[in-house]
Amino acid sequence: MRKLSEVLHDWEAVIGLEVHTELTTLETKMFCGCRLSHDDPPNTNVCPICLGMPGALPVPNRKAIEYIVMAGIATNCEVMRRSMFYRKHYFYPDMAKNFQTTQGPVAFVMHGHLDLEIAGDGAKERPDGTIEKAIDGSYVAPIRILRIHMEEDAAKMVHVGGAEGRIGGASESLIDYNRCGTPLIELVTEPDLRTPEEARRFMEKLRQTFLTLGISDCSLEKGSMRCDGNVSLRRRGESGLGTKTELKNLNSFKSLHDALAYEICRQAEVLEAGGTVLQETRHWEPSRKRTVVMRVKETNDDYRFFPDPDLAPFDLSDEFIERCRARVPELPDTKRDRYVATWGLKRSDAAKLAGDPAVARRFEDASHGVKPQAVPMLANVMLNLVPAYKALTLLQITSITELLAADALSFSQARKVLEAVDGTGKMPLAVARDWGMLQSNDTEALAAVVDEVLGRCEAQVQQYRDGNKKVVGFLVGQCMKASKGAGNPKVFNQLLVQKLEG
Amino acid sequence: MTSLDTLTARQIAAGIAAGDFTATEVAHAALDAISARDASTQAFLQVSENLALEAAAKTDAARAAGESLPPLAGVPVAFKDNMNLLGTRTTCASRMLETYESAYTATCVQRMLDAGATPLGKLNMDEFAFGSTTDSSAFHPTNNPWDITRVPGGSSGGSAAAVASGQVTLALGSDTGGSIRQPASLCGVVGMKPSYGAVSRYGVVAFGSSLDQAGPLGRSVEDVALAMNALTAGGRDRLDATSQNCAQDHLAHLEDPIEGRAVGIIPALLEAEGLASEVRTAILDAADKLASAGAHIVEVDLPNMASSIAAYYVLAPCEAFSNLARFDGVRYGYQEPRCTTLAEQSSLSRAHGFGPEAKRRQMLGAYLLSSGVYEKYYLAAQKVRTLITADYQRAFAQVDAILMPASPTVAWEHGAISDPAALYLADVFTISNNIAGNCGISVPVCLGADSGLPIGAQLQGPAFADAQLLTFARALERACHMEGIVAPAFAGKGGELA
Repeated sequence: MRKLSEVLHDWEAVIGLEVHTELTTLETKMFCGCRLSHDDPPNTNVCPICLGMPGALPVPNRKAIEYIVMAGIATNCEVMRRSMFYRKHYFYPDMAKNFQTTQGPVAFVMHGHLDLEIAGDGAKERPDGTIEKAIDGSYVAPIRILRIHMEEDAAKMVHVGGAEGRIGGASESLIDYNRCGTPLIELVTEPDLRTPEEARRFMEKLRQTFLTLGISDCSLEKGSMRCDGNVSLRRRGESGLGTKTELKNLNSFKSLHDALAYEICRQAEVLEAGGTVLQETRHWEPSRKRTVVMRVKETNDDYRFFPDPDLAPFDLSDEFIERCRARVPELPDTKRDRYVATWGLKRSDAAKLAGDPAVARRFEDASHGVKPQAVPMLANVMLNLVPAYKALTLLQITSITELLAADALSFSQARKVLEAVDGTGKMPLAVARDWGMLQSNDTEALAAVVDEVLGRCEAQVQQYRDGNKKVVGFLVGQCMKASKGAGNPKVFNQLLVQKLEG
Repeated sequence: MTSLDTLTARQIAAGIAAGDFTATEVAHAALDAISARDASTQAFLQVSENLALEAAAKTDAARAAGESLPPLAGVPVAFKDNMNLLGTRTTCASRMLETYESAYTATCVQRMLDAGATPLGKLNMDEFAFGSTTDSSAFHPTNNPWDITRVPGGSSGGSAAAVASGQVTLALGSDTGGSIRQPASLCGVVGMKPSYGAVSRYGVVAFGSSLDQAGPLGRSVEDVALAMNALTAGGRDRLDATSQNCAQDHLAHLEDPIEGRAVGIIPALLEAEGLASEVRTAILDAADKLASAGAHIVEVDLPNMASSIAAYYVLAPCEAFSNLARFDGVRYGYQEPRCTTLAEQSSLSRAHGFGPEAKRRQMLGAYLLSSGVYEKYYLAAQKVRTLITADYQRAFAQVDAILMPASPTVAWEHGAISDPAALYLADVFTISNNIAGNCGISVPVCLGADSGLPIGAQLQGPAFADAQLLTFARALERACHMEGIVAPAFAGKGGELA
């Protein structure tokens, strides 16, 4: 198979995503009062309603509707004044009523968009001219969102004794209804994504957005956020749509990217050999880095959709919508721009901090504890040092930041100090002082070291005088070694240049 | 010696409060009546003797402790077997649920118990409420207490027969297209279908969710009004998203005169083909009696009523197909033994668990909801629903109630009508009321001139004017002298209070 970048030179990939997100931060299920928790022993969070016992009726979870409206507002969707629940019928024991309560043609929120900023290598995947505007070598891809609708999750089934945990050949099937009735929102994009990188970025941005809203723990690993990809190819310059395949088991950002990349190359190979792509559902096998056929879709399933008569249509009031709007916190893009404007952070650093609400919150809390001009260093610390440790306190973070900002420690020294203080509550400043690590800016003391080094490195001194100015780096290294890392390398550099030039 | 036959619900509660007799004595009298009478009516599917005696003992203990007693204290009541009651099976008269033990208690049942009623058991019905004869019960038919060779009507036939034969004072039924009003008419008792949303549907096994409504049957309008108080007490049920707060005293205006009020009749409807002349005469006579009580009789029209049967037999089967999908033998109910695959287990459990009418309706619904067909029928039926609702709104702008038959004929002999379509057409007077969500009540007005069998007049009222409808029903009852009657073949058989 050809490489993705080559394939994308000849072919345009048309990609759409369907993203299911469980609203895990709610306390109760969508249509009953059962506790939301998948970790409890099987079939303990169940009641007549979520078990579909005779006579039981659904009562909608109002908070879940607030959450989906917030999700819609955060993704620039229109909040629909009137929408309703529908029943989608299929016989399978994971759905206790043998129908899933979901939404019909009108969802709670519809017609939104998310703008993706693609930079670096990802930008190279898109060779065409559809890039709207470039910022710092990146481009912005506007991705339309068709709708986000509300539905209930199915129970979890475990098939025992069969091959690969599938029902075929299994000797028995176990059902855990704890998950049955979990509030689930399904977001469907328009087919606006053009590269695997855009798909990955879309998922990342969506996850950041939902995490910021606090509506889900958004764990791809645990399955509280799940993604299916639809992809088809067309020749560059053409506008029709090719036959698409649907990809399943994309349970990490890497899987999403790699499965789409594989599938694009596979489809290109089929088409270039004169074959046709079949409309089928394919399963991503991460270990073998390929997609395999799950089932061929010959006909559309007939789910016998009709409006759920147990649930009256929802007429959302202005007041309700405004209350939801007021609950939408500052979103990652706005936060990023504020970080850049307030502290002059690098745009990419600001975006990374703003993308994870927990990190952003810590960063902002810590920012109060350092001088304004040290905040860019704080960003550096938050992104490059803090994640490596278990339990640094806010004070430890601000202390190490100040030491680094004042050039009193090197990054490698900072790492050693943090390792020692992590989980102890000890202050970095004290540890660094005890260890004699504090980089000295005392010019007099350091000048002595410089003299000693210059005295024994005659060859390098000569090289410098012959015009090889780079050799000063070696000499700084010698000074650092001689001072056991306690000297400030910048001060050494200044002193060395002074003496060599003088 | 007093017989339960002669006591109203209010008299029973008052007698217990006054110490004339105990709730336990009343319960024993009711159990005695059931054992003496139900062999010929076959109204009961289960008699809950233990639950009855426990509830009665609680009532007696409350009285002994000097507590004030609730309004239905000690009143014998039984429930259609599509209503969950902890400690009983809820079978829906189907093999599918033959051994199903209720996992909880339905709100309407609980509210009757909260009002102090003594639960005597569960009553026969057409399987899953599909029918108008009670003959489609998977277990046995129920006989009309006025002539045991005849059907009691349905689907709440067990409820009507148990009340008409004096085995209980009150019963609950459910009405999706006439299933309370028609058997009430055929058995000579009062049966009320409250406005959609007035009584919680939680715990009543669903047939057509947008049409179903539980309601009371009794031997007098006053007893039914007392039950309505109990069913609506506590207001909206938060377990039923379609329920409304209808708590009020349905007795407060029961005896109000109807002088000067307007009652509608639909002349074209009284000329309908298949309407028995004795029924037609009875309804015209009822109109005269209301007029004598001072009401204006006004001709009104429901121009789309003729389409109501077609619309109903689209909407109801669609909802039934969906509601009955859960019965697949996986978690509860009939499970086909020795199946090798999941598909086999669910399809054979359904094939052998459901009777013919339940299958017919579900297959109809499955077809009507399939893509391409749905648009043609379901959506068309919803439009008819809108038209019928608008027809009623226009009519109720002119009148407070509309008078019509509940059934085109008196009770017929078991097996006399075997064509399902002919049975569907007999629902013509009742189903438009469910389609529009209004309230309706059947009041016995006379014994048929030709048959000697009871005939009920149906009064329909606007949604949530249930109390007002009871006022008209009471006015009609006062003029007809049919209240409190136990079918003659059963009166006085057992049921004596010691």
